[in-house]
Amino acid sequence: MLPLSLLKTAQSHPMLVELKNGETYNGHLVSCDSWMNINLRDVICTSKDGDRFWRMPECYIRGSTIKYLRIPDEVIDMVKEDAQAKSRNRAEMNKNRGGNSSQNQNQRAPRSGNRNGFGVRNGPGGGGGLGNGNMRPGPSGQGNRPPAQGNKLRK
Amino acid sequence: MSGLESYINHTVSIITADGRNFIGTLKGFDQTINIIIDECHERVFSTTAGIEQIVLGLHIIRGDNIAVIGLVDDTVDARLDLANIRGEPLGPVVH
Repeated sequence: MLPLSLLKTAQSHPMLVELKNGETYNGHLVSCDSWMNINLRDVICTSKDGDRFWRMPECYIRGSTIKYLRIPDEVIDMVKEDAQAKSRNRAEMNKNRGGNSSQNQNQRAPRSGNRNGFGVRNGPGGGGGLGNGNMRPGPSGQGNRPPAQGNKLRK
Repeated sequence: MSGLESYINHTVSIITADGRNFIGTLKGFDQTINIIIDECHERVFSTTAGIEQIVLGLHIIRGDNIAVIGLVDDTVDARLDLANIRGEPLGPVVH
């Protein structure tokens, strides 16, 4: 499991972020990108010594300043569901393309196909198109995050 | 393949650049050594009292901040009498 997929799954959940300078930020994760830059809502910032507090409606944190993130325990199980859904999709894809080859290596077919076999993929038409959609890392169809934002992030 | 792959789902001990020690189950990592540790707890060393364990839960630690990742032998670790181990806390990494 990749740390950034876990972080993406944690969108809309509360979390604690400690920065390298020792400040901590408590808030709900709105969005994150592949650099670990994050958007928090309803934030409480705590100074390094822990005796001063600031409340702010939202904040944006540059990923490179983060030391660690503390995330609710249940989020890790939600990633597993994501992964299972993806492998299910992959299995379905393989069924769709089953006519092409009957070997067990078929499990890897979508990946290598992606790299080498553009012509092959365009052949089966609709099936290939569907598979292509499922291959994208982002839209796994869990519906936890607002699609518009997700799309912006991916640009 | 990175040597970390074989640590996945095992107990690891992380020493961070600020000198802290986190123990937990390694659930994942990426190319910048950002890591996921589940059931994470921090061990705080002191010269005047035993090791204090602070339960933290699920953590993502950014790779920048990681100095050492060590595989923990659970049977050996379970035998440790943390309350009677004294030690100086580590300082931060000096650049």
